Amino acid sequence: MSLLDIRDLQVAFDTRAGVVQAVNGVNLRVERGETMALVGESGSGKSVTAYAILRLLAKPAGRISGGQVLFQGTDLVQLDERAIRAIRGNRIAMIFQEPLAALNPVLSIGRQITEAIRLHRDASPRAAWEQAVELLDRVQIPSPRQRAQDYPHQLSGGMRQRAMIAIALACEPDLLIADEPTTALDVTTQAQILALLKQLQLSTGMGLLLITHDLGVVAEVADRAAVMYAGRVVEEGGVNALFANPAHPYTQGLLASLQMDRLRAGERLPEIAGTVPSLLDLPEGCAFAPRCGQAHRLCRAESPRLGPAGTAQRVACFFPMAEPVARSLAA
Amino acid sequence: MKAAAISVSPLSGVLSVGGPARRGWAFAQRLLRNRSALIGLVLLAAVLALATAGRWLFPGDPWEMAGAPMLWPGQEADHPLGTDFMGRDLATGLVSGAGVSLLIGLVSTVLAALVGTAVGALGGYYRGWVDAALMRVTEVFQTVPKFVLAVVLVAIFKPSVGTVVLAIGAVSWPPTARLVRSEFLALREREFVLAARTLGMGDARLILTQILPNALPPVVALASLSVATAIQTEASLAFLGLGDPNVMSWGTIIGGGREQVIDAWYICGLPGAAIVLTVLGFNLLGEGLNDVLNPHLRER
Repeated sequence: MSLLDIRDLQVAFDTRAGVVQAVNGVNLRVERGETMALVGESGSGKSVTAYAILRLLAKPAGRISGGQVLFQGTDLVQLDERAIRAIRGNRIAMIFQEPLAALNPVLSIGRQITEAIRLHRDASPRAAWEQAVELLDRVQIPSPRQRAQDYPHQLSGGMRQRAMIAIALACEPDLLIADEPTTALDVTTQAQILALLKQLQLSTGMGLLLITHDLGVVAEVADRAAVMYAGRVVEEGGVNALFANPAHPYTQGLLASLQMDRLRAGERLPEIAGTVPSLLDLPEGCAFAPRCGQAHRLCRAESPRLGPAGTAQRVACFFPMAEPVARSLAA
Repeated sequence: MKAAAISVSPLSGVLSVGGPARRGWAFAQRLLRNRSALIGLVLLAAVLALATAGRWLFPGDPWEMAGAPMLWPGQEADHPLGTDFMGRDLATGLVSGAGVSLLIGLVSTVLAALVGTAVGALGGYYRGWVDAALMRVTEVFQTVPKFVLAVVLVAIFKPSVGTVVLAIGAVSWPPTARLVRSEFLALREREFVLAARTLGMGDARLILTQILPNALPPVVALASLSVATAIQTEASLAFLGLGDPNVMSWGTIIGGGREQVIDAWYICGLPGAAIVLTVLGFNLLGEGLNDVLNPHLRER
C-alpha cells in the first residue's frame, strides 16, 4: 500500500465565469521515505492538488468533483470533518511558501509549536514547550530556548521557514507537503532548507510531496517527479530518467528552456510557443496539443491517458518523444 | 484580499522584544511616550485617586445633610468644596460620583466589548446567513437612538447600578461588533489562518487562538473611547433621575443643582468639570492607544 495514492482526482471551482476544472484527473503516488516532486507552471493545478489532499479548498467555490485520495488506504475524500481534522497536522502536515505570512504574527514561535503539539497529543503545556524547544533544535535553530520566545517578525526568512518546518514536524507526520518551500528564500538559504528537509526525511522516514516550479530544486532533492499541465499529470517518473529522457513534449520543452548554457550569443532563448489554455475552456483532446509540434489529428480528438513509457516512466501522450508513433498507436 | 494585505499585524511591530513580560514593558514605554496617552493617563490617575483615596479624605454618607445648605467652596473648612441646596457635602458627593462613574463606565464597556466582539467575530468568520442575521440585529440597535433606548431600558427595569450597566452595555456594543467583524473578514483570509487549519484546528480554536489576538488592538483603543461615552451616558441618566437612587453620581448632583445654577453654579460646575476631565482622560488615552497600536499611524 502506498503512503499516498491519488486516483483520478478532479477539482472544480465554481466561478462567475463558469466552472473551472483546476484539477482534471490527477494520478499520483508517494511512498514512505520518498520525495515526490510535483512540477508545473502557475495555474497547472499543483497547489490545488495539495489543498485537495487535505480537503482545504476554498469553500464554497472549490470542491472535489471526483476521484480518490487514498492515504494509507483510507480515502480522505470520504472522511467527515472531524476525521480529516485528526489527520491534518497529525499524519499529514504542510509548509508554505511565505513563512512570514503563514506564521501567526502575534504568537511566539514556541507557542505556535506548542499549540500544534497539543492539538493532537496529550501533553502538559510545560512538556509541550520542552518538545517545542527540542524541535527548534532539530531544525537547527541556534539557541532554541531563547528563539522559542521570539515572534515571527524577529526572525530571518530562513529561520522562519525552519520554525514553520518545526511546527509541521510537531506531531511527526507520515507525509509532509511542501508548497514551494524555498521560493521566497535567497539561494544560500534555499540550499540549507532543502538539505534540512532531506535530512529530516532520512531520520523520520516520512514521505515528502514537494510542490515547485523550480526544476533545479527537483533535480537536487526529489526521487521522483510528476509534471503537471492544465490540471493533469502529463509525465511521471524517476528524476534521473525524466531529466535524461523526457517523453512528453511539454517536459522536453521545459527542460530545453533551462539549457541556456548551450545558447550561442545572440540566439533567442528557447521557449514553448503559445500559452497555457484557460481552465474555463480546455481544448478537446490533449490540453497541450495546441502548443505541441508533434500534434496529430488524434491528439485534438482524444485525451491521452497516463501510460508506461520506458521502465521507470509514465507519460500521457500518444506520441512520446523517445520512441514515437509505433508503440503509442499499438497501445 | 486587498484589505487583508493592508491589515499588517497590529501588535507585532509594537511589541518588538522577547517574551510576554518584556513585550508588555516595551508597550508601556511606547504608550508613555505618546503625549495624549500620557495626559489621559494622568487625568485618569487623578480620577482614580479621587475615587479611592478620596473616600478616606472625605468619609461619610454623600446623602447626609452635613452642614448649612449652599456653602461656597472654601467658605467653611469642614466643607472644602461647599454644600448643595440641601446641605450635603459636595466633596463627599464628588468622591462617590468618581467611584460610580468609573465602575459603571468600565463594567458596561467590558460588557459591550464582550458582546460586540462575539457578534463581530461570529459574523466575520462564518459570513453568509450567520453574518446577515447578526448584522441585521446590529443595525436595529444602531438605528434606534442610543440614549432613548438606554432611558427606556432603565425605566422598564428598576434603576440600579446593575440595570444602568446593562442598559449602557446594551446600547454600546454595535460599533465594536462592526469593527471586529471587519477585522475578522480581513484576517480570515490571511495565510496563517489557512496554515493553522492545516494543523487540524477547528473553528472555535481558530477564532479564539489565531484570529482574535490579531483583531484585539483596535478593540482596545475603541473600548477606551466607549468608556468615555458610557460615563457621559451614566451621568445623563442620573441627571434625569434614572440613576440608582442609592448612589450619588455626578449626574445626580448636577440634576439636583440645576435649579440653583445661577446662584450657586459650583454645584453643577464641580461635578461637570469632573465629568469633562474624566471623559477627556479616556478620550486622550483611547487616541494614544490608537496611535500606538496602529502600525500605520505610529511612524508619524
